[in-house]
Amino acid sequence: MLADDFFLIAWDTTGSGKPRLNGPALALGLAGALIAELVLEHRVLVRGVSLQVTDPRPVREHLADRILADIGNAPQHTDVRTWLAYLARRAVADVTARMARAGLLDRETTRMRRRRPSRYFATDFGRAVWPSTRLRLSLARGRPLSHDDMVLAALLDACGMTDTVVEDPDHRQAARRRLAGMLTALPEPVGDLTRHVRAAVGDAVLTYRS
Amino acid sequence: MRTAHTSTGPDPIVSALAADRLGAPSVVYFVLSAAAPLTVVAGVVTTAYAVTGITGLPVAFLAVGAVLALFAVGYVAMARHMANAGAFYTYVSRGLGRPAGIAAAWVALIAYNALQVGLYGAFGAAATPLVERWAGVTPPWWAVSLVAWALVALLGLMRVDLNGRLLAVLLTAEVAVILLFDAADLVASGPAGLSAAPLSPGGLLAPGVGALVVIATLGFVGFESAVVFSEESRDPRRTVPVATYTSIAVIAGLYALSAWAMTVATGPANIVETARRDGAETIFVIAAAQLGPVVVDIARVLFVTSLFAAMVSFHNTTSRYFFALGRERVLPAAFGRIRPRTGAPQAGSLAQSAVGLLVIVLYAVLGLDPLVHLFFYGGAFGGFGVLLLVFTTSIAVIAFFSREPSGESVGRRLVAPVPAAVALGVMVTLAVGNFSALLGVEEGHPLTWLLPAVYVAAAVVGLAWAFVLRAGQPAVYSRVGLGAKAATVQEEIR
Repeated sequence: MLADDFFLIAWDTTGSGKPRLNGPALALGLAGALIAELVLEHRVLVRGVSLQVTDPRPVREHLADRILADIGNAPQHTDVRTWLAYLARRAVADVTARMARAGLLDRETTRMRRRRPSRYFATDFGRAVWPSTRLRLSLARGRPLSHDDMVLAALLDACGMTDTVVEDPDHRQAARRRLAGMLTALPEPVGDLTRHVRAAVGDAVLTYRS
Repeated sequence: MRTAHTSTGPDPIVSALAADRLGAPSVVYFVLSAAAPLTVVAGVVTTAYAVTGITGLPVAFLAVGAVLALFAVGYVAMARHMANAGAFYTYVSRGLGRPAGIAAAWVALIAYNALQVGLYGAFGAAATPLVERWAGVTPPWWAVSLVAWALVALLGLMRVDLNGRLLAVLLTAEVAVILLFDAADLVASGPAGLSAAPLSPGGLLAPGVGALVVIATLGFVGFESAVVFSEESRDPRRTVPVATYTSIAVIAGLYALSAWAMTVATGPANIVETARRDGAETIFVIAAAQLGPVVVDIARVLFVTSLFAAMVSFHNTTSRYFFALGRERVLPAAFGRIRPRTGAPQAGSLAQSAVGLLVIVLYAVLGLDPLVHLFFYGGAFGGFGVLLLVFTTSIAVIAFFSREPSGESVGRRLVAPVPAAVALGVMVTLAVGNFSALLGVEEGHPLTWLLPAVYVAAAVVGLAWAFVLRAGQPAVYSRVGLGAKAATVQEEIR
């Protein structure tokens, strides 16, 4: 699932168990990925600033279906930014719970550090590093990307993660160029969605408060 | 599974989002903690008495507060109709066009950098005596400032905005100390008794009033930031205006009272002499007689923490300015990138720190005075820039509403904004005319035209840059004033 892959890149599940991405951007990126899953399944359509359910049939995945029901039950809310903000509130908890159910993730429960964020570790190293490896090979070396991975790359870029994915500074210039070309080629719905994620992440920087 | 909600029930989306939103008191706290009251009372007010030698400052705070409150009527009304209710330049872009907006953005960048860097001077001057007393060594002011600079630079990159709760505690303690000092000053009234002379409107007719206007404006810097929280407030139509007016009222009342109380304690005739002699120590020396050394030492520490909080706050404001302009591509795109792990606007933070380092080193090498030449001149220069921005914005508000009334009442569109703009215009004129009084130098000193000329140059270059953009990069030009939301129109233009 797209949001799972986003999480595996944005969270260091094979080392420290801590996030690689700051809280607001991580939450908004995951929220964007959750909406993108429904867009890619042709359940939800994003156009400009608005979002609506086009096909209410369940996709047979617990979390995606819950979000689809939420959006379907509140047709008065069509603003993409509203849904990003709403889903971002629980996005980390939702996605990690889904991954834990699928056996992808272990949560380290800490009694000493109750108020600190939990640490998450991948159960399968190969599965955990595969999404970032895939994107790195494509962005740095020009291998073709699947449609889903293009959306993933666009969402990561919207959250400012491109330099983290492409670790080698020598490849970043080329990666940015490829990414820019790809972003213009993205179909409207996901293109609009990632632009809203980028704007929301930027706004979070401007209104940051502790 | 969730069930469908009837239209009469509470909207689950709205109530879920409202739980995280801010009420007016929280916004007021954010605004005031950035304004750092003790920094203004112990640093700006006393240095202003010493440098300008004019005693009308208390009434100037009240007068400028009244003008800004009038200005705020149209300002908060226009904020409701802005996609990006951020900094002044976004209002100027919307009201007076994008070239004026870019010019305003560059003026703002210079002004906020000046305000931030000036604080390093005050920090050095205020913290050195404490280091001397507790550690027994006397470091030069710039060494102390450099330590603060390094901390601010680091915190800026780590995006450790000082913890909100800590700031609230510090703010409360600062206000308590200020009120305690005011009470002590008033009880121990000096030779002239409770003289109300510094509060009389006649003080505004004295020569050099333009200097007071700039200093008072400097005290209010930060009142404009409540609108930044529009999208995050519980009820933007109410929360933001209430927070803005409350902040202005609290600032005007607190600073006028404190500036007046100081003159009462020494007698209005002696305040200038006292401030010239004691510098950053003035209010502590005045209060020490009544309050005893423990309270005064607590206040000294709070002054230093207040300065530090203000430095961090202005550092972040400035780096976000760089960031917003980077996102719009008015500055290079690198300024619009974020440090992933911390979410800090990395390039903007580094740029601001570079400016700070350069200025501290320059002042240390030239042997200039940290309090007068760095803190006060930086503050006066930055405060003048903010006054220019407020004035330009006041015109932008009128222009915007004359084109798009947007359903706002005539009171908000014209009745309040027009007199506000006229008053602000008078304030700018007075400030330009009295720049020598502001800096405490003789008429015709090169600084009196050089400093205002910096803003003129920035505005001219900004205008020129706008026309270059319009001709060469129309897509970038169309995004000016959108801030982070510039991202949403990127592809539609291409």
